[in-house]
Amino acid sequence: MKRDNNHLQPNPDPSSSLGGGSSAGKAKLWVEEDCGMDELLAVLGYKVKTSDMAEVAQKLEQLEEVMCNVQDDGISHLASETVHFNPSDLSTWLQSMLSEFNPPSSFDPFGAAGTTAAALDDSFLCGPAESSTLSTLDFENNNRQHQKSGQQIFEEASCSDYDLKAIPGKAIYSPNTQPPTHDSSSSSTHNIVKPEKRLKSTSGSHSDIFPPPPPATAAYGIPSDSIRPVVLVDSQENGIRLVHALMACAEAVQQNNLNLAEALVKQIGFLAISQAGAMRKVATYFAEALARRIYRLYPQNPLDHSLSDVLHMHFYETCPYLKFAHFTANQAILEAFEGKKRVHVIDFSMNQGMQWPALMQALALRPGGPPAFRLTGIGPPSHDNSDHLQEVGWKLAQLAETIHVEFEYRGFVANSLADLDASMLDLRPTEVEAVAVNSVFELHKLLARPGAIDKVFSVVEQMRPEIVTIVEQEANHNGPVFLDRFTEALHYYSTLFDSLEGSASGQDKVMSEVYLGKQICNVVACEGVDRVERHESLTQWRNRFTSAGFSPVLLGSNAFKQASMLLALFAGGDGYGVEENNGCLMLGWHNRPLITTSAWKPANNTSPTSTITY
Amino acid sequence: MARSNEVNLNECKMVVPLNTWVLISNFKLAYNLLRRPDGTFNRHLAEFLDRKVPANATPVDGVFSFDVLIDRGTSLLTRIYRPVTAEEPLPDVAELEKPVTAEVVPVIIFFHGGSFAHSSANSAIYDTLCRRLVGLCKAVVVSVNYRRAPENRYPCAYDDGWTALKWVNSRPWLQSRKDSKVHIYLAGDSSGGNIVHHVALRAIESGIDVLGNILLNPMFGGEERTESEHNLDGKYFVTLRDRDWYWRAYLPEGEDRDHHACNPFGPNGRSVEGIKFPKSLVVVAGLDLIQDWQLAYVEGLKKAGQEVKLLYMEQATIGFYLLPNNNHFHAVMDEISRFVGSDC
Repeated sequence: MKRDNNHLQPNPDPSSSLGGGSSAGKAKLWVEEDCGMDELLAVLGYKVKTSDMAEVAQKLEQLEEVMCNVQDDGISHLASETVHFNPSDLSTWLQSMLSEFNPPSSFDPFGAAGTTAAALDDSFLCGPAESSTLSTLDFENNNRQHQKSGQQIFEEASCSDYDLKAIPGKAIYSPNTQPPTHDSSSSSTHNIVKPEKRLKSTSGSHSDIFPPPPPATAAYGIPSDSIRPVVLVDSQENGIRLVHALMACAEAVQQNNLNLAEALVKQIGFLAISQAGAMRKVATYFAEALARRIYRLYPQNPLDHSLSDVLHMHFYETCPYLKFAHFTANQAILEAFEGKKRVHVIDFSMNQGMQWPALMQALALRPGGPPAFRLTGIGPPSHDNSDHLQEVGWKLAQLAETIHVEFEYRGFVANSLADLDASMLDLRPTEVEAVAVNSVFELHKLLARPGAIDKVFSVVEQMRPEIVTIVEQEANHNGPVFLDRFTEALHYYSTLFDSLEGSASGQDKVMSEVYLGKQICNVVACEGVDRVERHESLTQWRNRFTSAGFSPVLLGSNAFKQASMLLALFAGGDGYGVEENNGCLMLGWHNRPLITTSAWKPANNTSPTSTITY
Repeated sequence: MARSNEVNLNECKMVVPLNTWVLISNFKLAYNLLRRPDGTFNRHLAEFLDRKVPANATPVDGVFSFDVLIDRGTSLLTRIYRPVTAEEPLPDVAELEKPVTAEVVPVIIFFHGGSFAHSSANSAIYDTLCRRLVGLCKAVVVSVNYRRAPENRYPCAYDDGWTALKWVNSRPWLQSRKDSKVHIYLAGDSSGGNIVHHVALRAIESGIDVLGNILLNPMFGGEERTESEHNLDGKYFVTLRDRDWYWRAYLPEGEDRDHHACNPFGPNGRSVEGIKFPKSLVVVAGLDLIQDWQLAYVEGLKKAGQEVKLLYMEQATIGFYLLPNNNHFHAVMDEISRFVGSDC
């Protein structure tokens, strides 16, 4: 078909379907490709190798054809039941949808994919969060709870918003868990997909998309440590002066001009009083931290444990950050434990164990019955010599009994995660027991000591986990320059405090602010091994994990949706949003990402999972 | 059925570079999954699939950005893009809203496309486009994250556009030195182009000066089926059926496509004759099935004695302005730059 070439741009892609034409002229307008990726698409968020472009186009055509040949309802399952992963990796995404059409997806013995998922899909939530006491294991009411019958707890569990069992479909993507081929009862044998072929394409693209030690770049080619997302929520004149004063003070500190810094800190105090809301509180905390740095009044370290627990719990109740963290991590863990009869969670961030009741309930309600559940909780020592970790374990054991889950617990006291050795943990063979490692807001602390993070990575590898779930603050608070850290932290905590404003007032909110205030103090006033709040961005963590020999386990649209629905329950919920980023989930406030959940697996641990055991 | 599809796919692959074809086909596929026959929209999946980018106060290619919450009640966010200056190559992160320094600074209020239902101000495709506009027009760009259909029907998008216009107009830091006024342009593609028209109308009613309207493949329609709709249905990524779906999702329940939001110069339209309507630059893609409505819009402006320039790009499909790999892109960008630069 002859076309007017004047309007066509020659395409550098040799497999282009366009006619040869004028390839000379405008070629220089195109940007150089990077790692073979089409640069123009990369900027728009899609990773497609130039050499794969034609193949991707072909997949699009195939899908189009299939979708045209099928009734409307025939493809609606692609939207409602199918779980999507990592839309940036177009090739794999398209392939996974194509695979849905040959064969039909559901040789799924435990119905986890949910044949009635279409119904569950939009009406997932049964009601308001009345049963949150159960999943948060409200310790003060422990006695009252104990009086409930096991049956009642089951009923509440099935209506809980944290009821992971009702989530249709898979949470994480694992190229190794294929539907077992057809020994069987599957009636649809005419369109059998070759499992080896699927494994090949997906694992192939995995290593392409996430190659070992990459340069530190963020998703779309911009160097990661220089991305500074800022949202201005308070565009008032006073706010500006306050921010200026804070920055000027920080700069004076940076330049070691302590007299000036001191004068400015006092000024900030006055300015803060006239400010309202979140800005006032944030400014006050930052000012105090600056004062401590100036006068070298470093905060008593570490914090009294019972106070720290209380703050943590209030933070948990007030705002969705911890709940999001627990929820998304639990989904991934539940998924990774599919088919396992004995499971072992190693929690680096035990605290009061608030993450585990929900997972335990979900395991209890698993079709075919719960696995034996072992929990190893790791935490810092308490000052009053109380065996805090054991108490937490005891409460969880009581819960386990009422929901009929075989439970084993061990508390492990350690000053630092780097003090752990795999030999201490009584690990059992992988065939016998599957391991998940969980860390919520703990890993960054290891960056305060050289070598600590590497030690922990290697210990984790020795645990041979099915999955490692990590939740971290999405921020750059670990740069070498004080002023930069200060600026980043100011924006980050301003956004965080702003998100608290809309939530329940009173005790909870104040405690949450104190909880965050301690972090601010650490970031600003401390140095060296004392500065433990060394938050880093997803891109930086990704680099660390891949360099240490881990590959990503992708979180999908299912986890995304459930997390979004969870957020909607929170007062002032409108500002919260979930974002997908190359298989990780980020929770943000007004489009500013604040925390990130990611999941990992040792790269050499890619043996296909064993056959389904029940 | 499969046969005619083959022809269609081959045809539209001939007119765009392969990576453009992949990009737009991907959107088409994803969007097909999101629209439900009952008129509801799979918002969760939409947000999951949309590729987004954060704002970035660190300049990249001379442009930095930051988000501003301009209305808490509706969670209305705008993303503001600014050029760095020779005097200040690194912006002061503590004062992102520092006053503009040039004699004349155009401020372009941008409304992203997506047929009223898709995309956001922080969608990668629109973040990229807005960044281009900054350099191209030496402008500050304010991209409005308006509420979308079907959850928020007419007139929410227009209300948000209006809120943004008032906000921009009242920012001292956006005033040009020459006359201490904000030099406002409205721009948008697809549904964004439609929003431009309606917000401009409101501006006139309230006495706010808009210096120009830029409509890229604006989304208009009507009850009547036009020739272009017949001829191009399903041929270049877009079908009449999906256009109808989006109007049903945006317009008030029970209204048809001759509602003035959809058909501004139709039977229920509002004449712009005799009013101080901004000059308009309207870009029409020759392979867009709704072009007859877009051309009718241009005619409507002309008949009302308004200044309008039509750019008809013969071999262009929808979305041609998303990638800088074709002639239409560069031609249009040049025109936009002239359009905005003409009152400096």
